[in-house]
Amino acid sequence: MLIDINTYVGHWPFRKVGNGTADELIKVMDDSGIDMAAVSSINAIFYKDSQQGNDELIGQIDRYKERFIPFAIINPSYTGWKKDFEDCIGKMGMKGLELYPYYHQYRLTDSNAVELVRMAAERSIAVHLPCSVVNIRQRHWLDTTENLSVQEVEEVVRLCPDTDFIITNGPVLRMAGCLEKAAGSRKGRIYYDFARVDIFSTDFTALIESVGADRVVFGSVAPMQYIAPQLVKLHYSGLNDIEQEKVMSGNLKQLFGLCCGRSSH
Amino acid sequence: MDVIYDKMKLFKEHKVVNWHEHVWSDGKGELDERDCDRLVETACKTYMDKLVCSLPITRKNPRPDDVKKCNDIVARAMKRHPGVIKGFAFINPGYVKEALAEIDRCFNDLGMIGVKLYNQYFISDPVVRSVIEKCIDLGIPILEHAGKTNFNQQEQPFISDGTHFAKVAHEYPEAVIIEAHIGGGGDWQWSLKAIADCANIYTDVSGSVCDEGLIEETVRYLGADRALFGTDGSISAGIGKMIGAKIPEQDKIKILGNPRFDKYLERGL
Repeated sequence: MLIDINTYVGHWPFRKVGNGTADELIKVMDDSGIDMAAVSSINAIFYKDSQQGNDELIGQIDRYKERFIPFAIINPSYTGWKKDFEDCIGKMGMKGLELYPYYHQYRLTDSNAVELVRMAAERSIAVHLPCSVVNIRQRHWLDTTENLSVQEVEEVVRLCPDTDFIITNGPVLRMAGCLEKAAGSRKGRIYYDFARVDIFSTDFTALIESVGADRVVFGSVAPMQYIAPQLVKLHYSGLNDIEQEKVMSGNLKQLFGLCCGRSSH
Repeated sequence: MDVIYDKMKLFKEHKVVNWHEHVWSDGKGELDERDCDRLVETACKTYMDKLVCSLPITRKNPRPDDVKKCNDIVARAMKRHPGVIKGFAFINPGYVKEALAEIDRCFNDLGMIGVKLYNQYFISDPVVRSVIEKCIDLGIPILEHAGKTNFNQQEQPFISDGTHFAKVAHEYPEAVIIEAHIGGGGDWQWSLKAIADCANIYTDVSGSVCDEGLIEETVRYLGADRALFGTDGSISAGIGKMIGAKIPEQDKIKILGNPRFDKYLERGL
């Protein structure tokens, strides 16, 4: 079984990207052997009121409850964010929180953000922190000029020791180097994907050695990026069967409480 | 997993030439043999037949002696893995006389098959003309570091983008020039559009960027005839992009072992 931690539906405003609907994403997942995916709304990044994007997402994936694990994108600097969070988790059955401080123009260390991240822990909800959506060197002139900074993540991880974090699509080895010092004393867990780690360099081995196979998950950034490079990494990972099962699905099954292999939302 | 096992047949069953890779110094001026051997082992595992390697100096304006040392390291890699590693000579066009002599040395004495330029000058800078003309005379291709960077542009003030290549293409239609790593992190749409009509400008598909549509748009703008397989250190990305791209199988095969470049591989070790 393969579970993808990082997929989107919606419209990317800065270039034409295909397969942006839930129906299309399901087909892409099927073609790549992905059984389930955590999914969020690109539109929720760009709408002033992110909650409209979350609403759209739930409407779109309604037919695929067995395949998608919906993540709520909340902007803690925009009015009504507490209610939005409660609605997403309590009423709409969303399973995780996803944050984009570099698009919504706040810091993870701002008081509202810290409160939101702590609220996630209180609800046993993991917080997904994508370090970026696209490579910043090719940014559209209206796109963000920032990625998630290591220092900011380090600080929010320290301020919110009970929260589970998933860090993806960025310099995760460097992040892990900073975060793992504090990892042992935290109650919350920290997971990393390997979307930006080359399997044939020493970095992947270093990541596994640093955080353990228990903390590494699969993330593709579909449909923004090809899925195949991440599948190639799995193919050549050199992990043993037990480790591979954890990375492919076991770790996320445990995180989301998917005892039977399908989402129960 | 099985999805990839089957799809690796694309590599296993066809000629694969990686036109953009590097070997490195061990920090003491010698070839990093361990890294070099690992690269060749990886190539073997992933069914790459040839690795075209260079060793550019990526900062400042390197002196001719330092350029020579880089090329000597590449030559050592070629000798260590004959038939697999082919060499491109790194050249700093700013030292014109020495640059031309170094091309001669690398081509005639060391058996290299092309020239690698980095970001010391735009490729359209007049100072590069002598090098381009030399490569035309010798009938060898130029691989130029490239990118249209929309972030932190001051980091590489003289990096060439598609418009610089287009200018050279019109000035030297007989030159064979590769705009490096279309997936190298810059605005690849800009790069492709700028060189679309330049028949003698090619690109390699290397780089860490795996944007959906990258390979499809490369083929749409340039045609598979003008695209070359490459990895530039991002091997899983390079392989994955080719596997994931929704282009005809014949186009993939063409990119992996572009027959237009076969003649260059016949030279050297």
